[in-house]
Amino acid sequence: MIEVQDLTKQYAGRTAVDHISFKVEPGEIVGFLGPNGAGKSTTMRMLSGYMPPSSGRASVNGHDVFQASMEVRRSVGYMPEMAPLYTDMRVKEYLRFRAELKGLSGKTLRQRVGDVMDQCAITDVRRRLIGNLSKGYRQRVALADALVHQPPLLILDEPTNGLDPVQIRHVRELLKNLGPKHTILLSTHILQEVEAICDRVIMIHQGKIRAMDTPDNLTRKLRAASIVQLELQGKGDFVTLLEALPGVRKATEEGGQDGWILFSLRVEARHDAREAIMDLCLREKWKIRELHWQLPSLEDVFVELATTESAKA
Amino acid sequence: MRIFWVLFKKELRAFFVSPVAYIVLALVMVLSGFSFRAALSVLESAPSEGSIVTWTFHAMWFWLSYFFIFPLLTMRLFAEEKKMGTLETLFTAPVHAWQVVWSKYLAAVFVYCVLWIPSYLNFRFVDWITVSQVEVPVGALKGSYLILLAMGLFNLAIGCFASSLTSNQIIAAVISFTLSLLHFLAGLFIMVVGRRVSETFVDIINYFASMEHIRIFTSGLIDTRPLVYYTSFALLFIALTHQVVEFRRWRP
Repeated sequence: MIEVQDLTKQYAGRTAVDHISFKVEPGEIVGFLGPNGAGKSTTMRMLSGYMPPSSGRASVNGHDVFQASMEVRRSVGYMPEMAPLYTDMRVKEYLRFRAELKGLSGKTLRQRVGDVMDQCAITDVRRRLIGNLSKGYRQRVALADALVHQPPLLILDEPTNGLDPVQIRHVRELLKNLGPKHTILLSTHILQEVEAICDRVIMIHQGKIRAMDTPDNLTRKLRAASIVQLELQGKGDFVTLLEALPGVRKATEEGGQDGWILFSLRVEARHDAREAIMDLCLREKWKIRELHWQLPSLEDVFVELATTESAKA
Repeated sequence: MRIFWVLFKKELRAFFVSPVAYIVLALVMVLSGFSFRAALSVLESAPSEGSIVTWTFHAMWFWLSYFFIFPLLTMRLFAEEKKMGTLETLFTAPVHAWQVVWSKYLAAVFVYCVLWIPSYLNFRFVDWITVSQVEVPVGALKGSYLILLAMGLFNLAIGCFASSLTSNQIIAAVISFTLSLLHFLAGLFIMVVGRRVSETFVDIINYFASMEHIRIFTSGLIDTRPLVYYTSFALLFIALTHQVVEFRRWRP
């Protein structure tokens, strides 16, 4: 559905997107993940035909984004960041206008506008001025606009930005339920979102792709440290003994109560240190009441990726 | 073409939903009322060479309001969309830049034409009230509105262009006001100074002097040269606007 090769975009000497290549298969939901200013929006703008790439090529549905911009725009439902809308129009009126622009008319237009308003739960505000709506409603009006012409590809730039938790869940369900007819490329910097709905993640940082895999594989593969938490009671030099264990990078005391001391240990990636810890406790006759291995979340992976990169730079 | 109409309707709607059109309409109505009154008082005092039409369009009141119309009508067109980011949603829908530019421009032209309806009604009323005592020459009337339309096309195109340059409406208004006024004043001042320099100079200046055009057309003389001049420059500025709007699509 999307094919991107060596795509580059330069703004006034700054490289926003730096030779990225990736592919998105039909029916996939792909998450574009990265900190602010990573080049997510720029890439999406190029893919939606808004601006041409500086070099490299990208095609959507077999059409080049620059050469065949009109075909690309017809097959893409694009929702820009911040959901810009005409604030002096009413919701239904705006959607009718957008649907007409996208070539719908007559009965199909009426039906589609009604359908997307239901889908995005904005039917109850259809007669209100967009300017008077809350951020959450505006965001959903913009989403309805992206959906209205039933495009095979949806490009959504931070679709859940500014929504409350209930609305976020609603939008995620909506996207998941759009089904195999739609391919979705969405950007976000919220990691749970990617974990919740995406089949694949593309991590982008400083204009380059850092990682591309399923959310599960990504957490497993990337070298993020996991954390073991334990709470114990006893005598001895806890920190030195714990840090002497194989695979334990750092032990920190995190306070405690009623004579119990809470430790958190940073452990090498994919290294299960729990048995060794247990053995140590038995040997030293420490009492133990909690031993818990926290798997690294995508968030840890992400933070590690972003911070190590910026440390290098 | 269908897309063009959809956009045109939306632009027109934007004019009449916001207070802009009404404010400009009120401004033009009041000031054209004043200029009409001024013209009547000229005719009241003594017999005159010019008709009521000539005097109306020569009144200071008329020129006072005239140059405020264009920035007010056009400053919003592109600047607002740029500021709000809606240009991005607009250009990711399957629309061509020319459809956007022409729909905005022609909507402004349409509103501009509506503005002159009250002043036209003034002429009808005087005919009715005075039971045709005051002569309203039909040719002069046609000429006047024709040159008003031509000058409008020209100045609105300038305004469109100014609006496309910036995302700030105030800046757009200032640019369009300055350009329109400079054009007018160049024609006016050089005409005054030029008479002392050389006659050919004046002839050249008269090609683009709005005052001169108004003078000719309000006396009922329809000269095609100013018409060609204004419309061709309007086209030039629309083409420039188109280029500015398409700028983002240029490969760097």
